[in-house]
Parts: sequence; structure tokens; C-alpha cells
Amino acid sequence: MSARQSRSASIPIPPTSVARSLENVIPMSFSPNPVPRPRLSSVGTSASLNLNRGIPPSISRSVSGSYASAIGAVPRGRTAGPVRTNAAPAPVFEPRIIRATTSPTPSHDVVCNHAQSPPTSPTRSRRLSSGVRSQSALGPGFPPHRAPAPAHSSHLTGHGFPRPAYLEYSSLHDMLHTEAGSSTLVTGTRSSTYTVPGHDARVTASPAPPVIPYPYFRRELTPVLDSDDESIATPPPPAVGAVTVISTNTVLMLPTRWSEQDRLPSLSVSGDGRELTFTGPSCIGDRESSAARTNHAIPPACGVYYYEVEILHKCPKGPISVGFSGPEVRLSRLPGWEKNSWGYHADDGWAFPGHKDGSPYGPTFDTGDVIGCGIDFSQNRVFYTKNGGFLGMVFENVGKGIDVYPSVGMRQTNESIRANFGSSPFKFAIEEHIRAQRDVVWNNIMETPVDWRLLGVGPRKAEEERKMVGDEKTTCKGLLEDEESRAPLRKLVLAYLAHHGYARTARAFQRQSGGETRGALDATDIQPKTEPLDEDFKMAVDDAPAVASAPGAFNLESDGDLSFDRELNTRLSITNAIVRGDIESALLLIGTHHPTVLEREQGLIHFRLRCRKFVELVLDAGEALRRVKEAERSVTPKAAPTAPLEGEDIVGTMDGVGAMDVDDPSPEAQPFSSTSVLVVSPSASTRPPSALSSAPSAPSPVQSTHAELSDAARTSLHTALSFGQTLETDYKNDTRPSVRAHLRRTFGVVAYDDPLAAGGEVAEIAGQSARNTLAAEVNQAILESQGRPAHPALETLFRQAGACVTQLGLLGVGAAAFADVRKEFIEG
Amino acid sequence: MPAQPKAKIYQEEWERRLHDVQVSKDDLNRLVMDYLVIEGYKSAAEEFSKEAALDAPVDFDSIENRMNIREALQRGDVGDAITRVNDLNPDILDTNPSLYFRLQQQRLIEYIRQGKVADALQFAQDELAPRGEESPEFLAELERTMALLAFESSPLMPSSVSELLSPAQRLKTAAEVNAAILESLSQGKEAKLVGLLRLLCWGEAMLEERADLPKLDLNDGTFGERATR
Repeated sequence: MSARQSRSASIPIPPTSVARSLENVIPMSFSPNPVPRPRLSSVGTSASLNLNRGIPPSISRSVSGSYASAIGAVPRGRTAGPVRTNAAPAPVFEPRIIRATTSPTPSHDVVCNHAQSPPTSPTRSRRLSSGVRSQSALGPGFPPHRAPAPAHSSHLTGHGFPRPAYLEYSSLHDMLHTEAGSSTLVTGTRSSTYTVPGHDARVTASPAPPVIPYPYFRRELTPVLDSDDESIATPPPPAVGAVTVISTNTVLMLPTRWSEQDRLPSLSVSGDGRELTFTGPSCIGDRESSAARTNHAIPPACGVYYYEVEILHKCPKGPISVGFSGPEVRLSRLPGWEKNSWGYHADDGWAFPGHKDGSPYGPTFDTGDVIGCGIDFSQNRVFYTKNGGFLGMVFENVGKGIDVYPSVGMRQTNESIRANFGSSPFKFAIEEHIRAQRDVVWNNIMETPVDWRLLGVGPRKAEEERKMVGDEKTTCKGLLEDEESRAPLRKLVLAYLAHHGYARTARAFQRQSGGETRGALDATDIQPKTEPLDEDFKMAVDDAPAVASAPGAFNLESDGDLSFDRELNTRLSITNAIVRGDIESALLLIGTHHPTVLEREQGLIHFRLRCRKFVELVLDAGEALRRVKEAERSVTPKAAPTAPLEGEDIVGTMDGVGAMDVDDPSPEAQPFSSTSVLVVSPSASTRPPSALSSAPSAPSPVQSTHAELSDAARTSLHTALSFGQTLETDYKNDTRPSVRAHLRRTFGVVAYDDPLAAGGEVAEIAGQSARNTLAAEVNQAILESQGRPAHPALETLFRQAGACVTQLGLLGVGAAAFADVRKEFIEG
Repeated sequence: MPAQPKAKIYQEEWERRLHDVQVSKDDLNRLVMDYLVIEGYKSAAEEFSKEAALDAPVDFDSIENRMNIREALQRGDVGDAITRVNDLNPDILDTNPSLYFRLQQQRLIEYIRQGKVADALQFAQDELAPRGEESPEFLAELERTMALLAFESSPLMPSSVSELLSPAQRLKTAAEVNAAILESLSQGKEAKLVGLLRLLCWGEAMLEERADLPKLDLNDGTFGERATR
């Protein structure tokens, strides 16, 4: 059972037998960050669904019609249903198609093939008594009819619908696709949507700090714009006998219609793929039936999957079976009678768990009833509904270790059903059901005791904690009641604050937690054996001297003290300088305090910083020229700052800069300018223009001001160009493609009058977000140079939790679908 | 069911998975803010809301009230704590008899700790015994607490009894009161960070049953055997 053969040529099945539920993995481009999009589409869906619901469906009419016509003799092998006219006005999801057209003219010889004597004696003699007449000679292994593969393409036409809304409850809903959904996704280009992970509209809409790309991988040489797969360069892992998923491409296809191939020919499928009609002669005897499966298996990542079947026409004796079955289950048997199939039968209301020993389950059902079938992968159980009423959970171990498909089986001529795979509203309030189930699962997960070893707390403490939680679970549900479990959390948070340079918060946090632990310590005199609480924090409060943060020897234990203060302040000055555009100061500080950073990755960081410096110089030059123009236009000598250093807030136009004297290389190259940059204090250079203009500037004649401005502009231009030449010279032998590409883009900035206004890649290179990115990378590089993690443990923890959930979902653990990390911890 | 072969997850693949998890600095900042608020780090929360440009989820004063109550309990001043809780919202104790019992039990413990045996007995008879009759659970707790008197400072005192005198007991009571107040403010009873840890523990345990995955050291983000495992 674990080793399945590939079943159908039309559905790609990877050769790996363990790739359960992964057979629907089709590599394709789609955004891993579609948070706003599905919402929109689901809104649109529900609107149109409601619209559709408002239309009285023609079902009742057509059902009675089909029933009436079924009474009259209908020739074998022909469709019985009346030709449906397009009575309902413009049904969105139900193009009316005459059923007979799509059915591959079935031969009635094939119809009533049957299995040989079942291994167990049937318990339901009633059905046997209906007569054992037309035994055919066909063997048990008679293969179900499979239509030629090309028919598959017709699946894609016209009948698509968006992902059903109830599946939004799955934490992996982004991976679940209907054909319609995926086809729209193909059009999205990867680079535009993929590059800034973790930012959705909601985040950027808030008046939050500037958007900083926050990738997990090591810093990429190229800025956001080009950070596609190439730069990350993770080769796909070897595919030998292992689950190999390139995760961003994971697409799990949902069932959307009855398969044209995976059915017995006596069942004809309507053009829209939703209706099944039994066109063969009525089967007589238990062994003959006709079943069909859907085009795709149900991804367990759904958590709960649900579909409904309307009984359009049922013969009085017909035991229509509705349920699920595995891919290899014979289709000549009703779902529920064969191993790995599960079915609820219309004629007696019994439920069959894969063999003929069924048990009473629910009411019988008949023409006009709507039967819902749900599979809950968090329990591996099934539930049914009848006309919107819940009938209870049934079966065990459903879908464990095998794929399951929605499946329906019929036995009588002219019987027909119509399935709703989520294209229109369900009778049953499935979303409420799922919400309730999700809460149960989630609360269960939230009872998991915390293993503090995760955070590097010593095993002894972890054992105590574990024991404690075990003992106390009943009374206080594992609340964090003791100091031992709180200390690691404090360290985690403190490390995070330090990592990102929230210095004031970190200090306040330490002050308070230090005092708190002391308070607790004071209370310990009765109980001397209590372990000393949290020495790091004591140390912090005592202002203990720095426990030298030896490179490589970093751990959270030694990070607790205030020694990080000085280090943090330096790091902050560096990153702040970069964010301001004051690269020279940043370089100076890095060179003084973290010289190794500049050498990292063969000088990559240094290179990035120097490129940025060039960009800043070009921006300055443009700004200076703009001032000259301004001065020429206005008689009033407006603010005429001489320092051409305001890198930020350049939003004005730069008329005429395009005509920069590029062919005036100016050999004297003004080396003084770079030193002058050093002289100017960072605070002066960062003063906003408004402050500068309000500063008392020497009231000088217009001409002289203009001359000064022109001089300044020329100077800064020369500075920029000569620096550019140095840059080019220094790196012309560096053949790393990433270096070449970055250099090219950097020099491209010169070509624009106003790079910031140019938009696209140039603005990306020149703009504030590039500064922020660079600052984040330098921050990371400094931390790494000290042997510290590139990412704060808090972030790694979050990612690890999210990745575990995703992986579990893909491995078929349904509960994972109800553990939505983002929803619970970020959006909730 | 057939035993499924364990899937092998390669490091590159896992890195990719980690990368795919959608989280921004802003998201994490909010997690940290939640932690600071729930755990009652008022000044840190205030600073953080400025430094990280985050809106505070609650009024900072409510944090302080909550912390005063917690500190009173950690000091052993149960009476003060009860007064403060009732000032904040009398419903909290009215609707939660077991919490009220815990507080009274803590008060009894504090009497015993101070050696006020007569007061302790009087208090136990007046306040706790009637409640012990209400529920067997309360009664058991009462008996356990009274055992403190029996053993006094004897080395024979079983740890199940002696632990009542530990600071952890105070912290535990304080944490329960804290959670009840948070609930009354319709906030989570524990920091989301803790929930995240619970999820991680659940997820890793589940995953280890089904797949060999590379060990990730959460503290430094490197792969390899987790040192403490």
C-alpha cells in the first residue's frame, strides 16, 4: 500500500513512493506572499456566489424531469437525462452542457463487470437477494476504463473556480490551488512579487518605519530588485528517494471535477465535470458497480476537505455510495466496499469502512437530497452531512499513508448525481465546523509543554520544567509560573533588541527584569537551595565590566550584561550613518571598530559600501547642480549651504545634470573633497535642509553666492567622478558576476538627471530603501564578524516554527493546517 | 497502517523553507511588544513603542497596575494584592473562586512563613476551611498547606510541602492572577512568544517522527547537532 504504482498518465506522479500528496507538485511561478490577493479573490467569489445563489436553480425542475424520463424505457448506453435547456439565467458556474456529448460511448458489455467472490461473506443478504443474474466472465482485475490522455486538456477550459473560501482556514492555503487559481498565477512575474518576503500591504500601509527587505538567506550582493533565485543559488537538493520540494513552487491541486479517465465508462461525466450519470444497464448483484474519482487527490494540507453531492436521480433500489477512495481502488465496486475506500450508502444509510462489514450510520437518502462528505485530516476521520445537517464523525485512519479522492459509485441506469467541489455555496455551514475544529486542534497544540532546551537552557532546568509542567498541567495549564522558564525568554527578547539596536528599550528591559529578579532573590532566604536566578541580569544591574565578547564564543549567557551597550552604540552609529547616506562616517567607524567586517567575503561589504558612497556622491552632485539652477532663477539668495552633503531628501529635479561634464575627467580630481567629508561632523551633514535654511547664512551678494554654488557643484561633481574612476579601477579585476552586475548598476545612476525620480531599478539603487538594506546587511555582517548569529534567535525560532508547520502539512499531518503561525501570532 | 519511510529533508531544502516563512521585522517587533506588555515590562514597552514606531496595544498604565499587583504578591503582601485586584475589577475574583482560593492559600502560606501560627490557624478556620468543604480540590490544597505547620522546619518535610514556601509558589500565584487580569482585559493570558515556543515544540516533535530534518541551532541559526540535545 505504501508503494503505489503510477496510476494515470495524465497526472504527473513523481517516482518517489514517499512523495505522498506531493504528486500534485507542479513547479510553477507564484508568489509566496499572496496575502492580499486571495482575500480579494475570495471576496469576489463570495459575491458572485451569492449572486448565483439568488438564482433559483433549475435543479428541482430538471430532477423531476429526469426522473420522469427515467421511468420510461431508455435505450441502454444512452444518456437518460433530458436535454437541459439553459433555463436559469446565466449561471456562473454551471454551463449547461448536454451530458451525452462528453461520454465516450460506453459499451454495456463493460458496464457490468464485477469482482469475483469477495473474501468475506456479505453480511447484507438483502441486497444479494435482489438476484444474481447476469454474471459476466470478466475477472476481478478488469481495468477501469481510461480515456486517452488528451481529454485532460479539456479540464482546463472554462470550468475553473477559485479556491473555496473555507480552505482559507488552512495555514497552507497559499499552496492550495484550483486550476482557475493557478492559471491566474502564472501570469504574475516572479521577480516582482517574490523579492520582498514578509511584506504585505497591511504592513506597508501602517505608518511604520521604512520597509526593509527581510530575507533569511545570507545577504545577497544585489539589492532587492535582482534577488531572484540565481543570486541565492540554492541548488535543488538531490532527488534520490527523498521528499524534495522546492518550496516556493509548491502547488497542491484541489479536486475540481470528476476525472474523465478515472471512472468506469458506464458513468458519463458532464461537460463541466460535476455531474455523473450512470448510462449503463443496471447492475445486478453486489459485485457490480461503477465508481468515479476526481481529477486530483485531496491534499491533506487542506486540514478539512469537503464536497457535496446532490442526488439528481436515484432508482428505488439504487445503493448510491458517496465517499472517498484511494487511487488504486477498483472502480467496479462502490466506495466503502473495497479496502482504502469509505462510503455512505443511500439505500440503507450504512457506512462502509473499506469492507462489506458496514454499520448503521445515518438516514437513507434519495433523489433531491444533498449529501456532504468531509474528511478531517487532523483526525483522519470522515463526516457526512445531509441537506446541511451534520451526521457525525465516522471511520478511522482515513487517508493515512495514501492519497484519497472524492468518489461516488452508482449501480442503476439513469442514476445521476451532481457534485459541488466548492464552486458554489454549500448547504452545510462548513466554515463554522472548521473553525470549531481548528480551535480544538489549536488549543491542543497550545497545551504542549515548552522544552526550554530549544533555547539552549541546560538540560537540568529543562527536566525540572518538564516535570513541573507535567505535574501542574491540570491545575494551571502550563502557565509560565516560574522564574526558570522566564529567564530564557528574557534572554531571547534581549538578544533581539540588541540585534536590531533598540538600545533604549533594551536598557529599560534590563533594568526592570534585573530589579524583578532581585525582588525574587530577596524572597528566597527561606529556601536556600533555590538556584541563583539569572546571573546575567544581576551582572547587568551591577554594571559588571564587559565579559569580553570573544569572537566565536558568543552566547546569550554573556550577552545579558550591559557590555553590549558600547558595542551596540557603535553598531547603531554605523547603521544610522548608512541610513542617512553618510557612508564615509560609516566606513570610518567600521574601520575603527570592526575592521574585519570590511574584509568579509573578499571585501564584499566594503565594495557595497563604496558603491553606495559613489551613489551618494552622484546624488550630492546632482543636488548641488540643482542649487545652482535655482540660484540662477531666483534673485533672492535662498539657503545656500556650501556643504554638498545632503544625501537625503533629494526629491527636487536635477535639470541639466544629464549634461554633466562627463568628458571632463579633471585630473586634479579634488582629493580634498573626500577629506572634507571626513571633517564635517555627521550631525551637520544630517541636518535637514530646513534647519540649514533657517540657519543664518552670510548675506552675500547674489553673484558671489552663485559663484560659490557653482564651485561647490563642480567640486562635488569632480569628487563623484573621480571616486567613480577609483572604484572602477579597484574592481576592474574582480570577476565575480555579482560584483560586475552591481558595479554596472551603480554606474548606471550617473546616466539619470534625477535617479530618485527615474523610477525602476535606478530609483531602487539610489533610494532610501537601498540605504536601509545596506544598513541591515552591515549590521548583520558586524554581528557575524563577532561570531553572533546573522539573525536573532527570535526570528529563527519563528521561521523554524513556520517551516515545521509547512513541512508537516506537506507530509500529510492535517493538524498542521490548523496551526497558522501568522494568523495566530502576527495578525491575531 | 504501513510504516511510511521517514522522509529525508536536506539542509538546502530546509533553508529554503525557513526563507519562505513570511515574517518581517515589523512582525517580530509586534511579537516583542506583546511580550513586553503581557509580561509587564512597562518602561521597556514604552521605549519600544517609540524606538520601533509601534502603537501600544494597551494603555501603559494598565501594565503598571498589573505589575503592582504582581509585585505585591511577590513581596508576600497578599492583602494588598487582593485590594488592588478588586480596585481594578471586582469581577475578577468574584467570578473565579479557584483563583480567590489560591490567593487565600498564599495568604496562609505567608502567615506561616512569618511564624504567625495563631494567625494562620485562625485564618485557615475562618476563611479556608469553609471553601475546602466546597471542593475536594481545595481541601487537598488546604491540607497540604497546613502540613507546613506540622513539619515546621523539619528536614523531613517532603518537597511537595516545602515547595509552598519557595518563591516559585509566589510567582505561580502571581502568574495566575496576572493571567486572570489579562483575560479580563481580553488579552492573551500568555505572551504570544510562549505560544510560538509551544507550537515549535509540537511541530518539531511531530516532524521528527516523520522526517529526518537538519538540526537547527536556534540561538545562532546554524545547522548541526543542537548542543544541548
